[in-house]
Parts: sequence; C-alpha cells; structure tokens
Amino acid sequence: MIKINKVKQNLNAWSVLSFIFIMLIILPNLNILGGIFSPANENWQHIKTFLLQDYIFKTLKLVVFTGLFTIILGTSLSWLISAFDFPLRNFFKWSLVFSLAIPPYIAAYTYNGLLNYTGIIQTFLRGTLHLQINQKYFDIMSEKGAIFIFTMFLFPYVYTITQAFLEKQSAALIENARILGRSPLEIFFYIIIPISRAAIVGGTSLVILEVLNDYGVVKYFGITTFSTAIFQTWFAFGDINSAIRLSAVLLLIVFVILFLEKILRGRKRFSFTTTKSRPITRQKLVGIKGMVAFSYCLTIFSLGFLIPTLQLLYWSLLTYQKILNGKFLSLLVNTVFVSLLAAGLIVIIAVVIANYCRISSGLAAKIYSKVTTLGYSIPGAVIAIAVIVFFINLDHRLYWFYKFLNPETGKLILSSSLVMLIFAYVIRFLAIGFNSIESGFEKNGVSFFEASRTLGMNITETFWKVDLPMIRPAVISGFLLVFVDILKELPLTLILRPFNFDTLATKAFEYANDEMIHEASIASLFIIAVSIIAIYFFYKTGDKEAE
Amino acid sequence: MFVKIKGLNFRYKNAQEETINDFHLRINKGEIVSILGQSGSGKSTVLRLLAGLEIPSSGVIIIDNLVIVDDNNFVLPEKRGVGMVFQDYALFPHMTVEENIMFGLKKIDRKAKKIRVEEVLALVNLKEFSKRYPYELSGGQQQRVALARALAPQPFLLLLDEPFSNLDKDLQLKIREELKGILKATGITAIFVTHDQEDAKALADRIVILEDGKILREGKPQEILE
Ligand SMILES: Nc1ncnc2c1ncn2[C@@H]1O[C@H](COP(=O)(O)OP(=O)(O)OP(=O)(O)O)[C@@H](O)[C@H]1O
Ligand SMILES: [Mg+2]
Repeated sequence: MIKINKVKQNLNAWSVLSFIFIMLIILPNLNILGGIFSPANENWQHIKTFLLQDYIFKTLKLVVFTGLFTIILGTSLSWLISAFDFPLRNFFKWSLVFSLAIPPYIAAYTYNGLLNYTGIIQTFLRGTLHLQINQKYFDIMSEKGAIFIFTMFLFPYVYTITQAFLEKQSAALIENARILGRSPLEIFFYIIIPISRAAIVGGTSLVILEVLNDYGVVKYFGITTFSTAIFQTWFAFGDINSAIRLSAVLLLIVFVILFLEKILRGRKRFSFTTTKSRPITRQKLVGIKGMVAFSYCLTIFSLGFLIPTLQLLYWSLLTYQKILNGKFLSLLVNTVFVSLLAAGLIVIIAVVIANYCRISSGLAAKIYSKVTTLGYSIPGAVIAIAVIVFFINLDHRLYWFYKFLNPETGKLILSSSLVMLIFAYVIRFLAIGFNSIESGFEKNGVSFFEASRTLGMNITETFWKVDLPMIRPAVISGFLLVFVDILKELPLTLILRPFNFDTLATKAFEYANDEMIHEASIASLFIIAVSIIAIYFFYKTGDKEAE
Repeated sequence: MFVKIKGLNFRYKNAQEETINDFHLRINKGEIVSILGQSGSGKSTVLRLLAGLEIPSSGVIIIDNLVIVDDNNFVLPEKRGVGMVFQDYALFPHMTVEENIMFGLKKIDRKAKKIRVEEVLALVNLKEFSKRYPYELSGGQQQRVALARALAPQPFLLLLDEPFSNLDKDLQLKIREELKGILKATGITAIFVTHDQEDAKALADRIVILEDGKILREGKPQEILE
C-alpha cells in the first residue's frame, strides 16, 4: 500500500480551513437539534398541547397551497412561453421573472396599502362610483392573502427552471406528439408535466423553502406560523428552551421536505443526457387563442410586478421630499456596507471549500459540499436562534478575555455586534456563492490544474496562478448573487442586527409596520431596482450562454 | 536503466476491476517508447500514474535513480520533473504563449527565462507567436506550444497523450515527422500514447501493447507490427 500522507500534507492548509468553516456552520445548528434532547420545561408542555398543532397546520397550509398554485402558474406559463408564439411573447419570457425582484414582504404591505380602506382602489370605488363595499372582500391580511402574495412573487422559481428545461429538452417529444395528433392540452398533461417533473419539483421545493423562511409576510399579516412562533416564544415569553425546540421541529420539517424532493424528483436530473438538445419550434397562436395567451401573461405580469411597482412609484412621489435625506443616505451606506462585507466573506469561504472539495475526492469533501448547500434550506428563524445561542455562549466563555482587555466591559460583546449578523448571513447564503463557484470549477475541468502540477506548481501556487484567474467570472457572479440576496434579506437582519442598525429592508418593514406604508416605498423601490438589474444581468447572460 | 517501473497496480474508485494490472517497463536514456492500445485500455491512466496525478495501490517507479513511488514514498507531481503534453493540450487560456511556457520555469531569473522561451519556441518553429493567446492559434500550433511548454523545464521524462488526436490527417503526418525531429534533437526520454499503429511505427524505438490494463506484448516496432 502506497503511503499517501505526503499527498495529504500538501492539501493541509485547504483542508484545515475548510474544516474550520464547516464546523462553524454546523455547530450552531447542531445545538438546535441537540435542544430536543434536553429536558422540556412547563411552557413547552403548554405549547405542545395547545399550540404546536396549530403552528404545524397553519405552516403546512401555506406551504401546500402556495406550492400548488406556483406549480399551476409556473408550469402553464413555462409551457406557453416555450411552445407558442403570441403577441409580446418575447417580452413576457423574461419580464415574468421580474416578480422575483419584489420580496414577498414588500409585496405584502404594498398590496395592503393598495387594497385597504384608504387605498387607491377603495377610494376610487367609493368616490367616483359611489359604491359601498364590504371590507371583507378587500382584506388581504389573511392566510388566503399570504398564499396569494407567496404565489405571485415566488412562482418564477418554478417558471424559470421549467421553462429553461422545456425549451432545451422537449422539442422532439412535443413535435412527435403533435404529429400524432394530440391537442395542446393533452400534450400539456401527458407530456409536459411528466417530463418536466424533476424541474417542477426542484422549483417548487425552492418556493416551499422560501415560504418556510418567510417572516415578513406572516408577521405583517398576523399569521402564526413557525417563524413567528419561534420569535414570539423567545422575545415575548423569554423562553429560549422552547424556542429552540420549535426551531428543531421546523428543521425536521425541512429535512422531510428535502427528503420528499429527492424522492419525487426521481433518478432523473433536470436534463436527459441521451437526447441531443435542439430548440423547440414554436407554434403560432393567432386570433382569439393568441389574445387569451397574451391576456393570461399580462394578468400575471401586472399582478406580480407592474401594479405593485407602479403603486410604489406613486407613493415615492408623495414622500421623496420627506424621505430622501441624510438619514436615508446612511441607511443606504449601512446596507451596501454589510452586503459587500458579507458577500466578500462568503465568496472567499466558498472558494476555499469549493477548491478543497474539487481536489480531494474523499468522503469529507462530499459531506462539506452537502453541508454548505444545506444552509440555504434552513429557515431564517432557525438560523437566527442558532446563531444567537451560539454567540451568547461564546460571549460567556470569552468574558474573562473581554475583562482582561477592558475592566469596565459589558457581558455581551460579540452578540451585540455586526459579527453575529454577518455570521448568520454566511450560514444562509454560502450555498449561493458555493454553487456558482463550484460550477465555475466544473466548467474549466481538471486538466489545467493537472497541467500546472506537472509544470512544477503546487496546489496553492496553482490556485493563484491558474484556477483563480480562470474562475473569475464565476466568482464575480457568485458575489453579485449573494450581494443582492443580502440586500433584500429581512428576518435575519431584523432579529440579529445591532441596536440602532438599520438596512433598507428593515427600515421599509418598520415603516410598514408603523402604518407608514407610503414612507416605505423608496427603500422598497431601491431594493427592487437592484434586484431587477441582477435578474436582467443573469437571465440575459444565461440566455446567451445557452445559445 | 533510466526509468524503471515495476508491478504497478491501480484501480479507479468506482471501477470493478484493476484498471492497470502489474504494469512494468524499463526505458533507456533518450529512448522513445510508445504505448499502443485501444480506447479504454488504460493508456492515459499509465501516464497519469507516472506524472503523479493518480496514486497507485502498489508498485515502484524509479527515474534517474530517484525513487518516485514505492511503498513508503510518493513524490508529488510538481516535484517529479516529469513533463506532460495533454490530449487536449490544456494551454492556460488567460496566458500568452510566452507566459504559458514561462509558467514551468520557476527558479531562474527573468532574463534566463526569456532565453529559454526563445529556445523552445525556435525548436517548435513558433518564434513569432510568443505574444499570442492560445485561442489565436491553430490546432497544430497549439499542439506545438503544449510541447514547448512541457519541454521548457527540461524534464527527465516527457509524457505525450495522443499528441495527434485533435489534428486532421494531413497535419498529423507533418507534425509526426516534426515531433520525431524535436524529440531526437533534445535527446529526451519520452513515452507517448497512441491508438494508431502508424504513429507508433514512425516514432517509437520500442512499442508496448496494452490491453485491458495489462501488457500484451513488447518489442521493437519491426518485431511487433510485422
Ligand atoms: N476518472 C475515472 N474514473 C473512473 N474510471 C475511469 C476514469 N478515467 C478512466 N477510467 C476508466 O479506466 C479505463 C482506462 O481509461 P484510460 O483513459 O486510461 O483509457 P485510454 O486507453 O487512455 O483510452 P482512450 O484511447 O479513449 O483515451 C477505462 O475503462 C475508463 O473507463
Ligand atoms: Mg486516453
């Protein structure tokens, strides 16, 4: 047996760093799962008997209906766009994705402002048409309303994945079915749905994870789900123990969902490898059919993007004089600063782990890449609790050191600083940077790396001279994706930010919660604009690469 | 003997059987040996083992009296002094021809590097191309740059993996002759891998026929390919 210690030694710096990063991600979450085994207190008995069922039921209701409706919207739209030509089809193809630029919490208060008693719609009906309307038809702040918001603003996850799949992979099948005399609807149910199952399941599971992650919408609408319950248990009742238990239950639900996804997706990945991909020839829809397709897309585009954006623009005209001042500027600086800092850190960590995983073929590498991607599936509420517990613990242990540095010190140093928030961002968004960089490495293959080794460069030298320059585009796009995601992030920022530290997202949400919806508009628009630029950039470049 | 390989065994992680089974070879200094075999017979794998890109489960490799691999040693690829020309050339796309060639020249000063680059570029007849990027070169030119890059650090042993597979037939014949000239001019010890008998016959001093990871026959070209 050849001894390979020396080979390993050379990987050491990379493996040690990766190990440390991975441990930092796992430890806080392990704490949560461990919480299940600690003895329960009285309060937990109460929660378990009277409330838990309700949390589970309400959360699942949101998940199931949002999942169902996003599947319906997402697949029908992707099929229309892939297989047919109708007025403005090319415009809708990418503008339908814009819904993703509006975070659901922003959509929630925008729609509420639009529909409530003083909102533009009711005012119009009352003032101009002299109609007296029953308020209950306009109340969006309900479970049904939340399902509507989630559906309209998350369906692009299903739409983009399925559409890309259909456009590239389904030509032969659809054309054959057409030649065999099947109607479009038959084709949809017997061909499209079954072949794109993996894509649909993948997209839907992203939607579901987003719903579980959400805190803004349900908090604003006053719906008790796991997210809100976890924070309430902690902050209103001061019961850490039960909050940890609730988090653990939610985490288990997430694991079940990920497991189901794996089963439902089946052994197929998103693409066949056997068939040569060839773009589909689109069928022209003329006359009434074309108009129906057009109207359908227009309705979704309006509800999911145009109407809320116009409303926000209108409000921003009303408020910009009041809002745009030094305070707003410092808000902007804050936001950009933490986002840049965290995105930079995430990209560095992602590069280290991705490079290690690529070179080492061992079991550890497999586990690392799984753990890294798992972070994105953990709901914000769980990460928040995990990170707080972790840091308070850390502060206790480091207290002697703080005291040594400064005898007057308070007890909570790290846990009242930005470090904690950035740490949480890393756990949640590392997956996004990692995926981007990993695919960059995959695209380049190993032969450049190996060539460099045979020319006398070791792993680290090769990394700086060959790998890094070659994966630069992937690093940049990973950085941008993470940056935008952090810019929009609400639950973690809201809970973990230091005292008096606001970002655009938290400020907008605060305004909305204080019945100052109009004032929230400019911050919201800023977030939306940045997201649109990012979406446009990625969708367009992705499109070009596909060609 | 300049290169000694004994009892080399190797299996890829997900493979059922040994990919390389008891491979052995002895090469004299300045000799060109060709490994001939069908696709999947394990030719590239042998080269990867010699370059240090894969770790054998057992075996001994000795080059110039230095133990490269045995039960207690494994010299890393960057420390072996074994050059390799890859099947797909693997020229670094973000570096010019000159920078590609300089890449392997580590321990000498910049001026000496420049001189060495000139030398090897002259050897492969590409003097005017030093400032170009790989994508600005034809397939044959890329192949020659890859060769120049591998030769520049003056390796003990040069490995060539199907050096002609990406070229069309006419060019193959031309470059084959050139390559022979270049290799003989430098007096380097080389192993080159091919599935084409003609290549082997034209270039090799000795031929090893590989089948399913095992050596089937070995000898002079005239003896092996009657
Ligand atoms: N990375 C790998 N993992 C697992 N098996 C591999 C790997 N690379 C090659 N193999 C298998 O090992 C065997 C030998 O492969 P190798 O690449 O050495 O063949 P080759 O003789 O160079 O073929 P070709 O002429 O097609 O290049 C083949 O059966 C191949 O499928
Ligand atoms: Mg090969």
